[in-house]
Amino acid sequence: MSIRNKTFIIGLIMAPVLFGGGFLGLALMNAKPDIADRHVGILDRTGKVAALVIQAAQEKNMKELFNKKTGKQESPRYFFETIPVDAQSLDAQRLELSDRVRRGDLFAFLEIGADALHPGEEIEGQDPASQKKAATRRVAFYSNSTGLSDVRYWLADAVDTGLRRARLLQLGVDQKNFHDLLASVPFQPMSLVVRDESTGKIAGAVKKNEGASFGVPLTVMMLLGMIVITGASPMLTSVAEDKSNRVFEMLLGSATPLELMMGKVLAAIGRSVTSSIFYVAGGTFVLYGLAIAGLVPLSLYPWFYIYLLADLMFLCAFAAALGASCGSPQDAQHLAIILLMPVMIPYFLFMPVMSQPNGGVAMALSLFPPFTPMLMLLRQAMPQGVPAWQPWVGLAGTLACTLVLTWAAARIFRVAILMQGKTPKAADLLRWAVRG
Amino acid sequence: MFDHANAVEIAGVTKTFGALAAVDSLSLAVPAGSVYGFIGPNGSGKTTTMRMIAGIFYPDCGDIRVFGRPVSGARSDFVAYLPEERGLFRKMEVQALLEFHGELRSGRKVTAEVQAWLERLGLAHCAKKKIETLSKGMSQKVQFIATVVPEPKLLILDEPFTGLDPVSADQIREAVLDMRRRGATVILSTHDMGVAETMCDYIFMIFRGKKVLDGTLDAIQEQYGNDTIRVAVEDGAIPDLPGVEKIRDLGLVQELRISRGCDPQELLRALVAHTRVSSFSVTKPSLHDIFIRIAGPAAEEVKVA
Repeated sequence: MSIRNKTFIIGLIMAPVLFGGGFLGLALMNAKPDIADRHVGILDRTGKVAALVIQAAQEKNMKELFNKKTGKQESPRYFFETIPVDAQSLDAQRLELSDRVRRGDLFAFLEIGADALHPGEEIEGQDPASQKKAATRRVAFYSNSTGLSDVRYWLADAVDTGLRRARLLQLGVDQKNFHDLLASVPFQPMSLVVRDESTGKIAGAVKKNEGASFGVPLTVMMLLGMIVITGASPMLTSVAEDKSNRVFEMLLGSATPLELMMGKVLAAIGRSVTSSIFYVAGGTFVLYGLAIAGLVPLSLYPWFYIYLLADLMFLCAFAAALGASCGSPQDAQHLAIILLMPVMIPYFLFMPVMSQPNGGVAMALSLFPPFTPMLMLLRQAMPQGVPAWQPWVGLAGTLACTLVLTWAAARIFRVAILMQGKTPKAADLLRWAVRG
Repeated sequence: MFDHANAVEIAGVTKTFGALAAVDSLSLAVPAGSVYGFIGPNGSGKTTTMRMIAGIFYPDCGDIRVFGRPVSGARSDFVAYLPEERGLFRKMEVQALLEFHGELRSGRKVTAEVQAWLERLGLAHCAKKKIETLSKGMSQKVQFIATVVPEPKLLILDEPFTGLDPVSADQIREAVLDMRRRGATVILSTHDMGVAETMCDYIFMIFRGKKVLDGTLDAIQEQYGNDTIRVAVEDGAIPDLPGVEKIRDLGLVQELRISRGCDPQELLRALVAHTRVSSFSVTKPSLHDIFIRIAGPAAEEVKVA
C-alpha cells in the first residue's frame, strides 16, 4: 500500500535529483561559465618580471579562450595593468588598489614580492622578522573572491611560468628554448594489461577514464546511502507520530511490540528495495549507454543488495527505537541527525578512503560495522578492489551489529512505545536496552 | 475449548514503574461469561491491570492466566483489548482500517464481519471515509469494532463509554451485553458508577495499586450494611442530629450516613421534631457512596479486600 501512493512516486523521482543536486549544479555551471572580462593589476616589486608574467598569462589565455570544436568563448579574457610601485607609501597604494577592486574597476591585483624571483630556502620562523622576510618572497593575490576562486589558480600558473622564464633569461637562455625547458610531460593513467583467457592473447592496456573510475564507485556508494536515508528517515517520524497518536496501544492488543516493530521495519525495507530496483536498473542502463559498464563488475550487484538490506535493517531498527523514545514528532526531527550518522559520516570520509583505498585507515573504517555497507562497497567498487576476506569479515561484523541493535531496539521500543509525556534520557534507553 | 470456570486468574501480581507500585500484590479471579467492572480513581492501577491481562505489560512478579494459559508475549484472537484513548491510523479509510485490525488478530478475511458491525453501529455510510474526518464518538465506535472483530472470548474494555452520546453509549452497551450472552467474558473499567451497578456481575475496585473491593454489588453493599438514609425535608435543611456521620446533598434528596448503633426510627422522630419530612427510606449505600468513602478526600475506610 505504501508504494501505491503519490508520495512514494514523487520521492522516487526527487531523491536522486536532491542527492545529485551538487553534481547537477556543477554540470550546469560548466555549461554556462562566467566569461566576463577580468582586469588584473600587477605591482611588481622586483621591477623585472611583470612583462613576462603578462606575456605568459596572455599566451595561456589565448590557448584556452575558445572551445576548439565549437569556437565559442569558454574562458574569461584577461587584461593586465602594470602599476608603478610607490615604495614610500605601499600601504596607501594597496588601499587604493583594494578600493578599485571594491568598485569593480579591477577584479584583483597581484603584488610580486621583491625577492620572489629568487626566494631561496623556505622561511619557517613565525617571528615578525621572519614573517616580514617571507612576505618579500611571495606573490600576494588581493581580491574580493573566495579562496576557491578559479582565477587564483589560473593566475598562479601564469605567474609561475613568468617567474621561471625571468630566471632563465637571467641565466642567458635563449627564449626559443623556453617551451622545451618548461614543458610538462603528460602523465597518463592506464588500465592493467590482461590476457584474454579464451584466445590467450595479451590485450593492450587502455587509457583510464579517470572521471568514470572515480565517479562510478562514488555514485554506487551515494546510491546506497540515498536509498538507505530515504528508507530509514520516514520510519523515525512515522513511529513518533503513531506513538503520539496512540496507535500502538490499539495495535498492541493484536501484535507483540517486536512484531509491530518488525512489521514497520520490513515495510520500510520493502519500500526501499522496490525503489532500489528502479535506480539500479536505470544506473545499469546508463552505464551500458556510456559504454562503461565494465567499471562495475557484476559481482558488485549482490554485494550492493546485501549491504543495502543490512544497512536498512540496522537503521530502521535504530529509527524505530529512537521514534518510540520521542515525546513528540518534533523530537523526532531533532534526533534525525543521530539516525543518519552511520550514512553521513561515510559520505564525509569518501575522499581519504578513495585516495588510499587499501590503506590502514580505509580498511579500519570500512570494517567498523556501522560504516561497512557504505565504505566497503565504495572500496569494492574501485578498480583495485579489496582483499577477498574483507567484505566477508565486514559483512559478519555488520550482521552481528545489526542483530544486537535490533534486539536492543525491540527492548527499547517495547518499554518506550506506551510512555507518554516524557522524553527518556540516554541513560534510560541504555537501561531498557540492557534490562528490557 | 475453554472449560475453565475463570476466564482470568491473577495471583500475587505486582507491577512497578520506577518507585511507584502501580499494582501491588493483586489477586483476582474473573469468572468466565461474566461482566467484571473495574472501578477506581484515576491512576489507581486499572489500566495497568488491564494491560497486564492483555499481555501488553509484563508483571514484575506474580502470575496471570487467561483461560488457564499463562499470559506471555504471544497474542491470540480470543483476547481483545480496547484502550481508553483513540488510537487509529488517521489517514486510513474506516473499512480498510477495520479489516487491517481484524486480519492482524485473526489472520483471515473479516470483510463480512466488519460490514455487519458497521451496519449495527450505524456507521455503514462511513465505510469509505478517512478516520480523520470522523467525530470523536464515531472514532470511538470504529475503535470498538476494531476490538471486537473477530469476536473475542475475552473482551477488555478500558472506559468504553467515554465521549459517547447516550444513543451511541446504548449501542455499545447492547453490543457488549450481546457478546456476553454469546459466551464472551467482559472486563470493563468505568468511572460511571451507574454503568458498574447496572452492567457488571462483579465489581472490583483498585485504589493506590491495591484491591479494596471485589465481589457482586450486593455483597459489597452488604459489607456496609443499611447505614444510609435518603430523606426529603422541607427547605432541604437537615439539622445537626446525633448519630449522623455525614450528610450528602443530592438536590431534592439528602443522603445521611448513620453510625453503627444509631436507630433510624429515633432519627426519624428527631427529624420530624425539627422539620417536615416528605420521604424517608433506609437503604444500603450506593456504589458511588462506597467509592467516595474509599477514595474521597477523607478516605477513612480504606482496607484491603
